[in-house]
Amino acid sequence: MSPVRVTFMRTVGVARGLFSTVFVIGGFLAVAALSFAYGLETAEGGRLPLPVVWASRVAPLLPALAALLAMDVWSDERMTGRVDALLSAAVRERDYVLGKFLGVWAMTMLAVAGFMVTSVASVWLCAPKALAGSDVCSFLLALLALALQTGAWCAVSVAMSALFSRPAAAACASIVVLVVLPRGLWEGVMILSEAGRRTVGTMPIDAHVIDFASGIVPVGSAAAYVAVAAVMLFVATKFVASYRFVGRGAFGLKVSTGVSVALSLVLCALTLLFLRKVNPVVDLTAAGASAALSPRTRSILADSGGGISITSFMPRNDPGFDSTARLLRMFRRESASVGGAGMQIRFVDPRWDIGAAERLVQNGAVENSVVFEKGRRMVSVPVDDDFGERACASAVRRITFPPQRRNVYWTVGHGEIGYDVYGPFGMSDIARDLAREGFLNHPIDLAASRSIPRDCALIVIAGAKDDFSRAEIGRVDSHLREGGRLLVLMSSTKTGGVVSMLPSWGIRPVDAPIMEAKTLTGTDVIVSDFTDHAISAPLKGSRIVLDRPVTFVPSAVAETGGSGADNIGFSAVAVVGPAAVAAAVERGVGGGGDLAVRPTRIVAVGDASFAMNGQLAARASANRDFFLNCAAYLSGADAHAFGGEGFDTLETGLDRAGRLRHLAWTAAFVPAAAVLLLALPVVRRRRRA
Amino acid sequence: MIEVRNMAFSYRRKQVLRDVSFVVSPGEIVSVVGANGAGKTTLLRVLATLAVPDSGTVMVDGQDALARPLRYRRQMGYLPERPALYEDMTVKEYLRYRAALKGEPVKRIRRRVNEAADLCQVSHLLRTPIGSLSAGLSKRVALADALLLRPRVLLLDDFLSDLDTAMRDAAGEVLSNAAAFSSVIVTGHEIDDFARWTTRFLVLRDGVIASSVDATGIDVAELRERVDAVIGGDER
Repeated sequence: MSPVRVTFMRTVGVARGLFSTVFVIGGFLAVAALSFAYGLETAEGGRLPLPVVWASRVAPLLPALAALLAMDVWSDERMTGRVDALLSAAVRERDYVLGKFLGVWAMTMLAVAGFMVTSVASVWLCAPKALAGSDVCSFLLALLALALQTGAWCAVSVAMSALFSRPAAAACASIVVLVVLPRGLWEGVMILSEAGRRTVGTMPIDAHVIDFASGIVPVGSAAAYVAVAAVMLFVATKFVASYRFVGRGAFGLKVSTGVSVALSLVLCALTLLFLRKVNPVVDLTAAGASAALSPRTRSILADSGGGISITSFMPRNDPGFDSTARLLRMFRRESASVGGAGMQIRFVDPRWDIGAAERLVQNGAVENSVVFEKGRRMVSVPVDDDFGERACASAVRRITFPPQRRNVYWTVGHGEIGYDVYGPFGMSDIARDLAREGFLNHPIDLAASRSIPRDCALIVIAGAKDDFSRAEIGRVDSHLREGGRLLVLMSSTKTGGVVSMLPSWGIRPVDAPIMEAKTLTGTDVIVSDFTDHAISAPLKGSRIVLDRPVTFVPSAVAETGGSGADNIGFSAVAVVGPAAVAAAVERGVGGGGDLAVRPTRIVAVGDASFAMNGQLAARASANRDFFLNCAAYLSGADAHAFGGEGFDTLETGLDRAGRLRHLAWTAAFVPAAAVLLLALPVVRRRRRA
Repeated sequence: MIEVRNMAFSYRRKQVLRDVSFVVSPGEIVSVVGANGAGKTTLLRVLATLAVPDSGTVMVDGQDALARPLRYRRQMGYLPERPALYEDMTVKEYLRYRAALKGEPVKRIRRRVNEAADLCQVSHLLRTPIGSLSAGLSKRVALADALLLRPRVLLLDDFLSDLDTAMRDAAGEVLSNAAAFSSVIVTGHEIDDFARWTTRFLVLRDGVIASSVDATGIDVAELRERVDAVIGGDER
């Protein structure tokens, strides 16, 4: 038998005979069960699958478990003097260290595996619904992550035990090295370093576990744990070898050992930095984990290019923070693996990063959202019930590439606001934004044109003050009948002849003043109520400012459900009290409609000045986003995709009694049974002694 | 054969051993005696590779033992001054564990354990938990551990302390048997007991070998007188 095996068996044998081991493992099971039950409670309805919840609840306890189980593997030998007998035998120090390490690791992993079995069994018994969507593979990957981490923690604990001659000191030192230092460092970075705070989301140690359990295996991180374990075992070997370094003659050996330990730690640090930089990822999500990105998302990412900055703009203590960070990491990895855009993820906590948060808010982002930025383009996706893979993919698509150059025709000749006017009363800024989004701006004189060009993606009537002639209205009407798109920005002073055309398409403007408490100048209206329409849903939580807006109601055409086979859907988009200050109609889709036919879409906004240069520059609002969302919706680009089909949500279906039953099973019965089971052989041994 | 040449050892500022040189041939039982603090235990710890000498060499059968310590430890058995054993194990478990640890093949472990237990008269204790043994019996078990693999160098520190009269009387037989395959070095203060079976006394005084007294064919009383004279008469 090799000395490693003998030492391993002895280490396990000693631990089996100690009441301290029994109580440590029993305590671990109880605390882990409480933590898991609490985690299950907080994860209810969230997007983290059960294996992730399980692993992320166990992982923080493992350093303490490893420290307590390993505390006396060397220090006890030293305290009792048995180390002389060990060192006088013809066994290499590294074999002793390896054997003891393996013994501690095996015991720790047995406790973890035992807890996994009991916790899954308890969920199966008490809340079988929660197991839906989870598979063995995810649990095994979670266990692999914990095994890697535990290996590193055990190696550190064995090294500490070799360094200190008192078990309690060794345990304290291990906990300081494994818990206090990394967590303290992380908290320090969170508190003190703005740059660090933005680059670190979930604590890396916790994030690794979440990634593994999600099926995303960061090979670099796995290698880092192996590297840490190897280096710490080397350090432990040197510590044990130094027990012989008694006397002045050992001075040289002490120095060389110290140098080799220091060099190994430096090498370890360099290896960790290298692995962090490289960090290849193996995607095992196809093996059954529930977090795979859809082919559509992968296609969008593959087509993306350049660099994208993604900002998680939410508090770190938000229940959705971890799942959001995990989704963003998946996007980054997937994008890298398919050769898409390089993604840089930042984390802005509005509680701490006040400067960055202010900048985001000024740019129209809302709190509790994920902000995608590329160049000067930005999309803010709120983290709400609709947040998920599809919403993020749409955001990436929207900021990354315009699908095609689309022509926007701005009507002229009726007192419209000029898109090429650079003063405060022009719309050059918004026109420039449209150009960035891939639109080509053109003027169109409806009086001079025989028809509207076929390449027209969108007609914009921006605050026309003069009436449109019947011929002009006819041209617009016929264009709309062929699936045309129209954006009407009403002039609050004079609505122009276009007003007469709108009712036949389902929108009736009502020139009634709105009295709203929320106002800046007395005449303007701050709108913060948005419906779930594709245009306005992403704006929830933000505000737009309209000046003396016209309101809209559905016309008789819309109210009667349209004529013939057509359905006209009237949607209030932005609402002030009961009145809609922006409305959208869609015709030509719906039940029985021919999907091949391009639907007609019209959006009417009760104020044209909201998108003027002066208005955009004067106030922090989401006016710009609102206009661009209108243009994107009308031109057929993805303004916003509803739903988050990428993730199942965790449903335990437990009522209060069920939760108590689960808690009683996992936190009381299992630990008690484990203690009894483990204590029996100890009692037997003691009696025999 | 073990040959120690010019060994010196110092701890912090204190010179514990100075220019210690001696040879122990196979079959020889050498007793190292001296006053408290003379350096007996330190000498054995250095020879057991548990401390690093300032200078000097240790040759075992012509090979530099300190240069190849692992190989040397395979040929060496060491009984510490205060042996600490695993109290949760039985004597048999402990000896089997030690034999396995020292690399003895599994099929020979049983025989080795039985031989060593017989030699040290602990065969009847094989199933007894070590925690329930007295200090003397524990020492016997530790001695069995040192003798397990029939080492070529046997280092026994403060060997006779804690042993009862019967075992002291039997120690001569144990060591005589061990000397058949070992060069034995024993330390302690029990000169009268040593005199019955030791072949030579090395008297250590202030870290220096003050005298080497051949014990063969000399009366115990005379031997004690001569050794006491070198030590300084304060050792009994």
